[in-house]
Amino acid sequence: MQPSAHTAGTAPVPRLAAHFASLEVQNHAARLGMWLFLSTEVLLFAGVFVLYAVNRYLFPQAYVEASKLLDLTLGTVNTVVLITSSLTAALAVHYAKEGQNRKVAIMFALTLLMAVGFLVIKAFEYQHKFHEGLLPGHHYFGSVQLAGMPNYFAVYFLATGLHAFHVCVGMGVLTWLMIRAIRTPNLGPNNYTAVELGSMYWHLVDLVWIFLYPLLYLV
Amino acid sequence: MSVANESRAEEHNMQEHHGAGRYYLVFGALIALTLLTYFTGRMHLPTFGLALALLIATTKGTLVLLFFMHLIDHKGANRLIMGVSVLFVILMMIMPMADLATRFRPANPAGSHLSDLPDLNFPANPKSSTYNRGAQEPAQPGGHP
Repeated sequence: MQPSAHTAGTAPVPRLAAHFASLEVQNHAARLGMWLFLSTEVLLFAGVFVLYAVNRYLFPQAYVEASKLLDLTLGTVNTVVLITSSLTAALAVHYAKEGQNRKVAIMFALTLLMAVGFLVIKAFEYQHKFHEGLLPGHHYFGSVQLAGMPNYFAVYFLATGLHAFHVCVGMGVLTWLMIRAIRTPNLGPNNYTAVELGSMYWHLVDLVWIFLYPLLYLV
Repeated sequence: MSVANESRAEEHNMQEHHGAGRYYLVFGALIALTLLTYFTGRMHLPTFGLALALLIATTKGTLVLLFFMHLIDHKGANRLIMGVSVLFVILMMIMPMADLATRFRPANPAGSHLSDLPDLNFPANPKSSTYNRGAQEPAQPGGHP
């Protein structure tokens, strides 16, 4: 069975652009482009991590105290949710290679479900912070009055907010891929680049959270 | 010459059928490491707690990059890009901290442990900064309201 095989009357899938020597080179270029984009994403989040490092260096005590005010259970649950969603995204690539389009759609649906779960838990955490006055800068009215506390929450909201924004963008990409796998089920061993690259974006979102979780919640 | 060869090698690695087993294995390792960092984090290890948490996070990140994102199958330029950006992240972290560490103390933000100036965010709180710490009753809390 070759789901992406060329049948008479339809355009071959995937299409080879005229400026590429072969399909191999075209796929390589697509992956290289994705890695370049992801490296700019890494450097974007690096700004947040540098902000964290510098301020933690200045206010070590406040960072330790403030991290205790976060809900460790919710943070850990969210970490497990995001890692599991990464597994289903990886399995989607696996099934796309095998040409099992229905399973690709199911895997992405599960990923999206967990993404929604992540955002809902995050929203509850945010609500709690607003209520307790654990806010950035002069909005801070928390009970622990320690130099550097408002600063920690500025970094907290910037880091988790930027990450949550990436979750939303990733959900958009995965929704598109899911609909595509249902509407035009032509994914197969020669045609899975879109699924692979979309899934890579989702793994990056997971990767960022893997570092945010211990830094914000644990230490 | 090398680009075409690299494309071929990458295509070959990606085509090679692995089965889904290795994804489940990596997933299991990631969950186990999450639990490990959760329990060691709750112990609040004084000296090496941060280093341990970062070590575990880096191991998890490497697993995601290599297996979920297939960097183990992608060689050459793809790895170079990721390697260089990680190197830049580390450089960007070191440089501003080196700056703060070598400044004259009054040039560092007030209230921080690298400064002798009182914190102005919470001027009424004697425990708010290192400047006032240990003072029984500050006669005149420093700073503006």
